[in-house]
Amino acid sequence: MSKGLKYPLYFLFPAAAIYLTFFIAPTLSSFYYSLTDWHIDVHEVTFIGFENYIRMFSEDVLLLALKNTLLLAVLVTLLQNLFGLLLALALNEKLKLTPILRAVFYMPQIICPLVIGYVFTALLNPEMGLVNMLLRAAGLDFLALDWLSDPDIAFFSIIATEVWRVTGFAMIIYLAGLQTIPSSIIEYAQIDGAGYWSRFRHITFPLIAPAVTINFLLSIINSLKVFEIVLVLTRGGPGYSTEVFNTYIMRHFGQGEYGYSTAVNVVLFFIISVIGLAVLSILRKREVDI
Amino acid sequence: MNSRKLSRIILETVLVLLAGAVFIPLLLILVNSFKDSREAALLNLALPTKFHLENYAYVIKKGNILRGFGNSILLSSMTVLTISITASMAAFLIQRSKEKIVKGMYYLFVVGLIMPVAIIPTIKLMMGLQVHNTYGGIVLYYTATLLPFSIFVLTGFMRSIPKELDESCLVDGCSYARLFFSIIFPLLKPAIVTVSIIVVLVVWNDFFGPFYLISDSKKWTVTLSIFNFANKFETNWALVFADIIIVISPVIILYIILQKHIIDGMTSGAIKG
Repeated sequence: MSKGLKYPLYFLFPAAAIYLTFFIAPTLSSFYYSLTDWHIDVHEVTFIGFENYIRMFSEDVLLLALKNTLLLAVLVTLLQNLFGLLLALALNEKLKLTPILRAVFYMPQIICPLVIGYVFTALLNPEMGLVNMLLRAAGLDFLALDWLSDPDIAFFSIIATEVWRVTGFAMIIYLAGLQTIPSSIIEYAQIDGAGYWSRFRHITFPLIAPAVTINFLLSIINSLKVFEIVLVLTRGGPGYSTEVFNTYIMRHFGQGEYGYSTAVNVVLFFIISVIGLAVLSILRKREVDI
Repeated sequence: MNSRKLSRIILETVLVLLAGAVFIPLLLILVNSFKDSREAALLNLALPTKFHLENYAYVIKKGNILRGFGNSILLSSMTVLTISITASMAAFLIQRSKEKIVKGMYYLFVVGLIMPVAIIPTIKLMMGLQVHNTYGGIVLYYTATLLPFSIFVLTGFMRSIPKELDESCLVDGCSYARLFFSIIFPLLKPAIVTVSIIVVLVVWNDFFGPFYLISDSKKWTVTLSIFNFANKFETNWALVFADIIIVISPVIILYIILQKHIIDGMTSGAIKG
């Protein structure tokens, strides 16, 4: 019987029409626009080949944005997963406070990043901010730095803010993974005399491998798209020291360089696709190995 | 006291301190939103010497908050409506059909989970279609960008609805449309609720989309109104914080009530993948 069923295609039409028109079509046309001189002052858009892409190599700020975006993605991904996993392991110990702590740690994830940017601007204020107040109160005056206006430090302040914002998400995914492990397996290992570290390495970690995969993939992709936090905390400054792809695109969009900023967006698109696919295939392969 | 109990107490203490690191920044905005501008400039956690509720009155009057609220509510509810119908129809066919074109379309949707939006060509497209700066245009943008996630979750959920149900209904002579709308759609309700909550949160919190797509200040969403308000009143933290509290409190209240739904929804897409 089930072979005879022929589900009509029209169920897919509304979703496909909207998706193809408002997501896929702009993406495809961005490849074309990236090859044009499209600009606020230009009446007729003309094809200029790879000029926009060639220009990118001569723009120091773009190369800086590329370096910053990649470094931020790597550091945020590592820290988010390290802290997320540690929190999940702690909460998985079935403490009395687990439900409420879980909710608190996840909370930054539901607040808009823009607001978090303003909150941390206040926290990191060099004279009055709570961070420096606490450091001074603890006698660590030398650590009470100019968090957002020192070009050497501002980038790391952004990373810290972003890690504060996203750690809860990784924690929730790890916690869900940990809860799928039957407690009997852990108990057997305990009876066999396996210590915590050895249980973690040989049992827990391999069993939460799918959660590791998905967490790494999502953190890398999301941090490559970072925007609001940088916009509010530093606007890419001081100078261009914290410029990332999305603030760079915004800057050139604001100057009316539509073709050029579209080309930069295409580069971001390829970086995300390549890194996303690479991370996925590496981690998937390892999942099979263990 | 044995060492196991002791290590538990240490672990709990450390976790509570860490929870403080999450909580204190939010407490900071709350207490300072009630201070006058001089007191708030100190950016500390002390309680206000006098509660300045007029900060809120001022923000509501000057910050265009009510309009922002109206716009955000309108956009998120319209997006929920279009997503629930289009995504569940698509998920129904995707999970049931074995046709190549359907599978191909599903992969195209899944790719959209990762891809960044080509925002500048989207503006051009909207202008070309005469939907730029209209509510409808923004709803279509949100629907398009949130369809991948919604279809992914709903298709996963469709697997738990037995195919025998379709067969018996069709044998009884009902049409596919009737099968979907009177049997499948109601059964999808738990997943649609989850998806809808996430859609509301995403639309409410989104800044990137409206920042590029809405130039008409009458249609600004809450995030755009915060951004513009903060740019104007940069030096007055009390007002900026009052503005922020007004905008995030609905989300926090929603989170307190629907915490389990929200966490499950955010993770359901991720884990089943």
